[in-house]
Amino acid sequence: MKKLAIVLMLVAATVPIVAGSCFAQQEMSKKEKAELFRKGAQLWPVYCAQCHSPRAPGDYASYQWDIVMAHMRTLGNIPPGDANAILAYLKGGS
Amino acid sequence: MRHKRIFSTLLFAFGVAALSIAGLARAADSDGSDAAALKEIRSEMRQMREERKHDREVIRSLEIKVQQLESKDSKVETTTQQLQSTDQKLKETTLELQQTNLQVKTLQTKVDAPMAASQFGDAFDSYLGSRRFLVTGTFQGSFQYDKAAATNTFVLNWTPQINYELNKWTYFVGQLSGSIGANGASTFTMPVASMMMFLNDYAELYAGIFDNPFGNWYEDRSAPWVNRFATAPLPYDGEPVGPPTDVGAQLRGGYNWGSLGQDVDYTVWVSNGPSYDPSLPTAAIGQTLNAFNGVTLNTNGKAFGGRFRFYPIPLAAEWGRLQLAATTLNGKWQNDLWYNAWGLNLEYQKDALSVYGSWLTAYRQMPVGTPTGHDNRQGWYLEVDYALNQLAAKMTMLPSPVEQFLARMLAGVRYSGVNQRAIVASEISTTPAPGFNGSPSIFSPHAREVATVLDYYLSPAIVWQNELDFELPQDGGSLVNFGGPAGTTPVYSPFGTTHNDRAFISQLTVGF
Repeated sequence: MKKLAIVLMLVAATVPIVAGSCFAQQEMSKKEKAELFRKGAQLWPVYCAQCHSPRAPGDYASYQWDIVMAHMRTLGNIPPGDANAILAYLKGGS
Repeated sequence: MRHKRIFSTLLFAFGVAALSIAGLARAADSDGSDAAALKEIRSEMRQMREERKHDREVIRSLEIKVQQLESKDSKVETTTQQLQSTDQKLKETTLELQQTNLQVKTLQTKVDAPMAASQFGDAFDSYLGSRRFLVTGTFQGSFQYDKAAATNTFVLNWTPQINYELNKWTYFVGQLSGSIGANGASTFTMPVASMMMFLNDYAELYAGIFDNPFGNWYEDRSAPWVNRFATAPLPYDGEPVGPPTDVGAQLRGGYNWGSLGQDVDYTVWVSNGPSYDPSLPTAAIGQTLNAFNGVTLNTNGKAFGGRFRFYPIPLAAEWGRLQLAATTLNGKWQNDLWYNAWGLNLEYQKDALSVYGSWLTAYRQMPVGTPTGHDNRQGWYLEVDYALNQLAAKMTMLPSPVEQFLARMLAGVRYSGVNQRAIVASEISTTPAPGFNGSPSIFSPHAREVATVLDYYLSPAIVWQNELDFELPQDGGSLVNFGGPAGTTPVYSPFGTTHNDRAFISQLTVGF
């Protein structure tokens, strides 16, 4: 148990470094954005419907989708690339 | 100028020489005429000097004029250069003006054009800042009827969920749940209070009070508007196999291992472990786990869990989405007493069809002296749902209002059961609660249930559910009462005859 606690503490300590690099803003070209949107439109009905009726993009404001998708990414263990694509689709249509 | 001067000098010298020669010649001829000649020569020399002086003045005057002309020419050149420079500047200024004019026109076009939703969203995001709140949650109100318990009652639940995003990789979630049950009692609980932190693309830290990831149901499908039924399947209902909620920390993540749709994900966690009904005087076979949100902060033991899910079908194949999962939870439920559980999960969706299934088993080591050995409990369920929208689309002969009505409907059937050795008599409840129909038949050692549902979706998250349950328990098992001088000794007796039961629930659920 102590070992596990130490491991968790180490993980927590590295968070700012790791997360900082992971979530660095990346500029995307119009073509890349369009591709991400298309991928999200493809994933949205499949991944969301796994548990519930997919919510329409207009159900939440753009900024609200950030929060909702963060929670859904957690509960569904959705790979980050796929979660970003679904988010792009939902925000694009909100 | 210099040439002229040299020329004048040479002319003068030549004149002098010529006169000298002429003089010498005359001297030879005649001395008398010498004086007159000399005088004449002198006179001529004077004249020549004056002429030379005059020439010099003329030359001087000309030099001055030339200088003046040169000066004027220089000024003209300077003026020409200045004019050229001014012309260049004018050209540059004109070009700049043209560019500015173009920019102004572009800006004007942008200002005149309506703002795209995404642009407005980004602007609004920026206005709100990085720390943001969002309230989501559920409301459910239901009418519940149970034949055996003879109840006709209403149940209400309101569970707002407060989401707080600290930054792009950290957020918090808290649920406050308030219910009014059939007996009029209000209950307020906090089923979820947790922090999530995305560590990297492959790992996330999730800590606090959480829905137990043992199996899929509590975490993914227990929200009322998400669950297609009004009640929970038996392995997650009144006699659950695993603890519904727990307190601890999880590490979890997902990874795309193949084509789009081919994923694998993991969840590992350490938690306080399961806790059991504390109202009993002593541990007994068949003792139920603490209900939803029955988190005991100090269980004198820890548990370690794992869940691994695998999605083999690529999206492009259009064969639907299949999930195969295995889950386990092991640890101490009290002091040195073990709790071991594991299970398998199946999920499949294709078009209008959804299939969900679980098989779970749990083993609990009992304290020394328990007369009938150790505790164990198994449960399973299989649920098949079919959305009628595609059926409605195919039935073109139907009137439009009927077609639209059908398109909003979903039909489902679910079979579930739990096997265990005993039921504790004092734990049998017939009080309906959110997600529980109040049937006493659920509290049978070999409970079985067939549930059917017809849902009408007003919107994707607002659904009117009508559920009919058939409780079909099988015989066998024991009933536990407490006796002895202090009333603390478990007394096991045959459970006796079980009775079938029917229940009906009509429920409006709103997810917001």
